[in-house]
Parts: sequence; structure tokens; C-alpha cells
Amino acid sequence: MQKTSAEISGMGHSMKRKEDSRFIQGKGNYVDDVNLPGMVYGHMVRSPYAHARLKSINTDAAKKVPGVLAIITGEDLAKANLAWMPTLSNDKQMVLATGKVLFQAQEVAFVVAEDRYAAADAAELVEVEYEELPVLVDPHKAMDADAPLLREDRTEKNNHIFHWEVGDKAATDKAFKEAAVVSKVNALSPRCHPAPLETCGCVADFNKATEKLTVWLTSQAPHVHRTVFALVGGIPEQNIRIISPDIGGGFGNKVPVYPGYVCAVVASLTLGLPVKWIETRSENLQSTGFARDYHMTAEIAADKEGKVKALRVKTLADHGAFNAAAQPTKFPAGLFSICTGSYEFPQSFCEVDGVYTNKAPGGIAYRCSFRVTEAAYLIERAMDVLADDLKMDPVELRKKNFVPAAKFPYKSPLGWTYDSGDYHAAMKLALDTIGYDALLKEQAEKRKKGELMGIGISSFTEIVGAGPAHTFDILGIKMFDSAEIRIHPTGKAICRMGTKSQGQGHETTYAQIVAQELGIPAKDVQVEEGDTDTAPYGLGTYASRSTPTSGAATAMAARKIKEKARKIAAFLLEVSEQDLEWEPGKFFVKGAPSKAKTIQEIAFAAYTNIPPGLEAGLEAVDYYDPPNLTFPFGTYIAVVDIDKGTGEIKVRRFVAVDDCGNIINPMIVEGQIHGGLTEGFAIAFMQEIGYDESGNVQGGTFMDYLIPTAVETPHWETGKTTTPSPHHPFGAKGIGESPNVGSPAAFVNAVVDALSHLGVKHIDMPITPWKVWNILKEKGITG
Amino acid sequence: MAVKIEKTFRVDQPTDKVWAFLSDPRKVGACVPGAEITEQVDERTYKGAIKVKVGPSVTDYKGEVQIVRLDQALHEIEILGKGQDVRGKGSASMKMTGKVHALDSGSEVTSISELNVVGILAQMGSRVISEVSNVMFEQFLNNFRKQLQSPDAAIGETSTATAKPISAVGVAFSALKATFTRHSSSEEAKADLAKSDSAPPVPDKPKDDSGGK
Repeated sequence: MQKTSAEISGMGHSMKRKEDSRFIQGKGNYVDDVNLPGMVYGHMVRSPYAHARLKSINTDAAKKVPGVLAIITGEDLAKANLAWMPTLSNDKQMVLATGKVLFQAQEVAFVVAEDRYAAADAAELVEVEYEELPVLVDPHKAMDADAPLLREDRTEKNNHIFHWEVGDKAATDKAFKEAAVVSKVNALSPRCHPAPLETCGCVADFNKATEKLTVWLTSQAPHVHRTVFALVGGIPEQNIRIISPDIGGGFGNKVPVYPGYVCAVVASLTLGLPVKWIETRSENLQSTGFARDYHMTAEIAADKEGKVKALRVKTLADHGAFNAAAQPTKFPAGLFSICTGSYEFPQSFCEVDGVYTNKAPGGIAYRCSFRVTEAAYLIERAMDVLADDLKMDPVELRKKNFVPAAKFPYKSPLGWTYDSGDYHAAMKLALDTIGYDALLKEQAEKRKKGELMGIGISSFTEIVGAGPAHTFDILGIKMFDSAEIRIHPTGKAICRMGTKSQGQGHETTYAQIVAQELGIPAKDVQVEEGDTDTAPYGLGTYASRSTPTSGAATAMAARKIKEKARKIAAFLLEVSEQDLEWEPGKFFVKGAPSKAKTIQEIAFAAYTNIPPGLEAGLEAVDYYDPPNLTFPFGTYIAVVDIDKGTGEIKVRRFVAVDDCGNIINPMIVEGQIHGGLTEGFAIAFMQEIGYDESGNVQGGTFMDYLIPTAVETPHWETGKTTTPSPHHPFGAKGIGESPNVGSPAAFVNAVVDALSHLGVKHIDMPITPWKVWNILKEKGITG
Repeated sequence: MAVKIEKTFRVDQPTDKVWAFLSDPRKVGACVPGAEITEQVDERTYKGAIKVKVGPSVTDYKGEVQIVRLDQALHEIEILGKGQDVRGKGSASMKMTGKVHALDSGSEVTSISELNVVGILAQMGSRVISEVSNVMFEQFLNNFRKQLQSPDAAIGETSTATAKPISAVGVAFSALKATFTRHSSSEEAKADLAKSDSAPPVPDKPKDDSGGK
């Protein structure tokens, strides 16, 4: 790919992010910044119980609070057939509770008042009478005969949501029977939460005169949300406009539709006033889409030399009270079947059972492409356990089993076709950067002295960019994505996409793609997303899909424009199209470089001097259906030191070598990696949305659900290899999620490695000092 | 949210007097900050209420207290209390066992409480619940000692007539402070609340930790 000038700043330039100038000046425009004349405020009344019969709701006292305009209950919604709404996983979810509540913090009533304080005060006064029911917290007990039945609304009278399996069971079982070595690990990927900086919320504004409903929404997928509102609310789709303004982080949390959105819309339709509803931090942590909660078992069959023969995976998935997982329709366990990872398993079988419990609903993909983090964590943990069983170096074991670079495209036993990869190269760079051999020596010496040091490797493979229309849809809508580019007469451009940035830097990276393809300086390319009245239809931003889908669509739309530009240039230069050559920013006549027309001149001509037989204007739309997913990969190495007295873990070094194919903006990629690693660090060491035996949330505030600050966060060292995707228009793969997917295993492997000589095989996340201290105590290392 | 709280304290009063007080839920209830006994249902069952305010969260429990076991010979009592918040914010139950021992001078009371809290309050986590319980216990002990010494004395933080919730800001702040700063401040908080008393409280663990004065 030809590198453009710094002036043009096409692909490969570390252009500063165009959006940052408004963000760093505090001039971003988030949903809570939207203030409309006459706007009123909603506040949610929530259940204190995890499982209880709803006996009565008394709103008399609440209604007397000055400024209260309306109180909506589940019974009110039921009259309009809106008490339940569909989830993105073919289940349904209560908007406001009727009959009973199924998790703590479940939505019970919605109070609307003239200001936020009155709404909150009145919500306190809503008296709800409950009758407590037996609570189901442990997913392992969900299918017991004596387990309480949670979902009385379903025809199936049990707590089982789905069973899903893939792979050749018989061949896998046979491989296990014949195997010399079988290693096994039970690994929990605990319930965590993306906890984006901005919580969820909306402003719903129904204009009774025009019958148009405008909703400013914290949405990663505004078009899908528009369609859901149309289908659920019966409002004609052209009368719904969803605007996702600046979004303060999503990480999957802002993909689902939440009851608060529906209530705000209902309130606005009822009152004819704009209604704002913004979650508190605790409401966000306690009721909106959580991630993970995968209770996994992996077994690897191998020969004595460590060559793997088969992988068998059995998983119990806790989806909470409603199956509100946001994932492609045909994949109830997401893309978990990427669990063979970077390794050449001849056979594999994977099965997942989803169950209901009395916990918040969800199962969203937290900075990961639908259960890929769980899969990567499991296989990378399992490989380490196998290495430990075989007394092999985990690096040697990995190298022995990597899918070799020559075997791509590689078809995995669970059905994926990996596009490209060079796992050995990434591993080598990571080992060289961190100085692996020296670290091994140091560790051996420290062990003699009784000091605890560990090295953890993770050589993950991701699967992103959903996805090909033949396989991927959400609610039946195929997972293509779109771009529309319009070139103005002065040669500047505006582009709109079906995706939606939540901090990823799309305003810069998409502009750089246009700059690369058309030679228009990236600074002259305006990117707009998130307004369903103006942007072409798309499925939104999550699953690292923006670059693989809308990024590809941008390149394809730009190429359509370039073809028209060539015709105009040929007309202007009075030569045939075949006589023209392109260099970034202009067409010139072969052999006569001075005879040239810049893209700006061509754009002007498109409106002022149109060739006969050609339409005026210079614009194009592309809906891109990717032929395959992309498969980013990398090797991460963590080095930890553990304090024997306190169990405190210090991440001394962390090297992340990523391969995301061709890079659009190296600085943005670096930023994505830093952010994702920091989240992975928090997941490994700090975060869990726990529940006590009564179903009380134990991670419902930032006092208990910890967010890493600069103080805790280790120093990150990054590196890259470049293996372009062969099927993507410019060879890119997607990077946003790799660091979150790949890093937890590196951290956990490092801690387990530090303690492996004491007989420790596995520790579940989050690995807190308290957990480690207890292990050290049990092993007699600390007093 | 189950929390087990074990407490041992001494009082400068003869065992019989302490036992007579401890085995009467009306008297004990009057010493619990924010609590009141509203009605005696039968010989061993009472109706009551307690208000607890932690930070922004006010919980107003109404329920029943029942004497499950009363052993006059061993000076041992077991009480079961259950209540629901009147606005449906949660419920709480507590099983408390109390025992009075004679000492060379005065008496020693041992109590084991198993508290189970469901609802908004329980989200504060066991660390805060324990600290709130500690602060409440110190207030209770203060009242308990005063009442034993002079049964007609006005009770500081509570009264059977009005049953005000225990100090919102005070409890929340000292509990949070104690949670964050653990030992020293926790003891300061206790000292603040217990300073009017002559005998220092003796928390069960650690045994040698007698608190500040």
C-alpha cells in the first residue's frame, strides 16, 4: 500500500484524533448534555429482592410529592401490551415487573417529575409490598429438581435456556480414550461489568404535532434500536429518529435495549413532553448488561511429547433472570467455539448450557466479540495446565502446537476458517522483547531464595468483524455495515456510517481511509455517525466490527467515487481513462505527470463541468458484507512478583505483541491496546459482580467494584507484527478487543506460575491479595 | 447478606439484675438505637419497629420479635426477630443468643447475633453492615448501662415514644471511616460513642482490644 503524505494522512499516519479537541475542552455532547424546553425527568423504582412475588404497589404518597407528573407501573404497561419486551437473544424481558421480580435492582415503577430531585424523592415513597421467594444464585443448582422455578412465563417449566454444541463428539471422545496424557482445568470467567465512564440513559421526545419520536440514546447500535422501537412500540419506523451523540464508552454495555429507555419513551408519548432518564452508577452496575459468568471446564488430550490431539469443553453459562445476551441469532454462546485458539487440534467438541438465575440479565460481550474472551482465557489457561502436567516449558508447548503460518487459511475443527496468521513470529517478538531466557534464570534463582516470581504467556487468537450475511444476523437483520461518502464541490467530504464510535476514534480513522483511497486530506473529511435520519443503515459498533465492516465499506465507496473521478479526469484532460494513472490526490496522464487533475479539481468539475452522459455530483454508498471474519492474534507476556507476607501481586512487566493486520492509525491502535490491557488487568485482579446467598449484589458500587487508576495500572510495552487479512479491502483486522481478550490469561498464568512449585494449578479471577494470601497461608509460606 | 456478630461486655451490676433486664425484650428494645417495641402479642411475642439510616438509605423495618428460648437457670436467652421495610426496600432477620455470667465483681454478657439483611442495605456489603452494627452496638451498650444503673434515666439516642432513626450522618460517616481506615479510626469511632461510660467495651475479637477512652 502506497503511503500518503503527512498532509493527506492516509493509512499508517499517527494523526492526532480529530474528536479529541472537543473532548479535552469539555465540549463533547453526551446524552445528559441534551436539554430541551419543557423537559421532565424519570427515575426508576427498583426491587430490593432477588426473587419475590409482587403483591401491591401503592403510589399515593409518591404522587403527592410536588412536581410529580406520572408514575408508571408494570400493570400500566401491560394494558398497552408493553410490560415485556423482546431481548436480542430471542427471549423476552420485563420492562416493569408484573407478578414477580427476578433480580435485585429490577425495574418496578417509573416516576416522572418536573425535576430529577422530585422524581428521586417520589421514587423513595413508592410503597411496594413483596413476598419473598426462594432465591437461585448458584447456576450449578439451576437444573436441580428442587431449584425454584424462575420464569413462570415460559412454557418450559425449568431454568434451562439453551443447550448448544459444536464439533465431532464421537471422534473427540475417541481421541481422549487413546490419549497418553489428559489435562483438565475448571476455570470460571467471573461475572464482571464494562462500567463505561458514561452510564446509560436517554432523552425521549415525542412531538404530538408531527408524530415524530426523537430519542437521544446511549446506543452502540442506533439503527437496530430504531427497528426494535418500531417493532415493539408499533410506531412507523420513519417517525422514529435515534440519535447517539457522543458516547462515553460502551464496551458492549450499550448494545441492549434497557427498560429505562422504553419507560422514557412511554412517558414522552403519554405526556407529550421530552423525558430524560439517566442511570446512576449503581443502577448501571446492578441492572444493565453484565459480561462473562461462564463456568468452564476444558480437557486437552495430548501425547507424551506435548502434541495436542483433542480439546473437550463443557460450559455452564449464567445469563441471569432474562437471556438478554447481545449476540448473533444463530450463536447462543457467541463465538465461544474459537476456543481451540492458536493451536492445531485435530478434534474438538464444545458444549454450552445456558441457565437462568436470580441475577441481573445480560451476557453481553465486554470488549470482546461475543464470548471470545472466555474462550481465549480458557484455552490459554488449559495450555498452561497441560505444560505443568508434562513438566514442559509453556512456550515450547505452544510453539509445538501453533497452527503454522503456511497452513492459512486454516479450518478449525469447530468450523471456523482463520484468514491469516503467523503465531511463531508474534511469539518470537514477545520473547525477545521481554528477554524470556533471562527471566527463567532469574525465576530459578529467586525460587531458591524462596521469592515468588511468575511469568505468564498468552498466545491468543481472536475472531472479530461479524459478520458474513450467510451466517450472521441480529433479529434477522444481516450483519453487513455501511458507508456513504459525499464529496463537496471544493473537494472536501462528509461521510456517514452505520457504526457508532464510543471513543474508538472513528472520526479520525474513517477519514484516514478516505484520505488513503481518494487523496483528500483526512482533515478535510468529516465523519458523522449515530443519527438514524442521516446515516445509512448499519448494525453498529461492537465485536471489533467497525474496521472490518464499515471500514471496508468506506474503502469500497471511495473506490466507486474514484472510478467516477477517473471518468471526469479523462474528460477534463481530454485523454482516455486507460491513459490515466493515480497517485494519492490526483490522476495524471501516463508519461506526462504535469498533465494532471487533482481530486479537488475533479470534485469541482463534478458540479460545474459535468462530462456528457454522466450524472452530476460525486458520492457513493456501500453496504459491505464481509466474506469472512478476521482473526487478529498476538502474544502477551506478564511478569509478576508476589509479596509473601501480604499476597500482593505486582505486575513488573507486561509485553503485548499484537497483529491486527494493516494499521490505519498506529497511535490509536496503541491507545486501544493500553485501554484494553488496563481493563484486562482489572478483570484479572480486581473486579467481580458478586452476589450473596440471598441474591444481594456485592459489586454494585465503585466501593466494591474496583476501577484501576494510574496508581494500580502497570506499565505497558507494546509491539506488533503485520499479517494482513487477505479478504479485507485494505488488509485490516480490528484491534479494539484483542488486549481485553488476550490479557487476563497472561496475568493469571503468571500468578499461577509464581505458585506452581507449591502445587497450585489454578486460581479463579479476580486474583485478589486476599485470595493469594490464603493460598500462601495454606501452603505454609506465610504465617 | 449474612453477618455474624459476637460481642462480650462487662457491666458493674449483679448478675440477677442484668439477667432480669436482658430477658425482657421491652427493656432491651428500648436500648437499641432507632428501635421500639410497639405491642406485646403474647407472653413471648412482641411487635416492633426499627429505623436504620445508612447514608442516603433509610430502612424502616416493622416486624416481630420472639423469644425462642429462655433458660432462667443458665441465664440464657435466644431471640428471633424478623422485619420488612414498610416501603418494600428489603427485609432483615436476626437470631440473637445472649448469656449472662457472674464475675468476681459485676457480670459479663456474651451475645452472638446472626444477622441476615436482604435489600438495598445489604448492597453496602458485609464490611459496612458490620461497622454499622458495631456503631449501633456501642450506642446500645451505652443505653443498656445507663438503664441498668438508673432505670428511669432518659435514653440518649432513642426513646420508646418516638423511636428516631439512629443518627444518619454520624453512623454512616463513622462506619465508612472505619471501613476505609480499619483499625485506629474504628476504635476512635467507638470511643466517640462510648466515651460517657465507665467500663470500656470488650469486643470479642481481638480479645485484647479494649478500645479507646
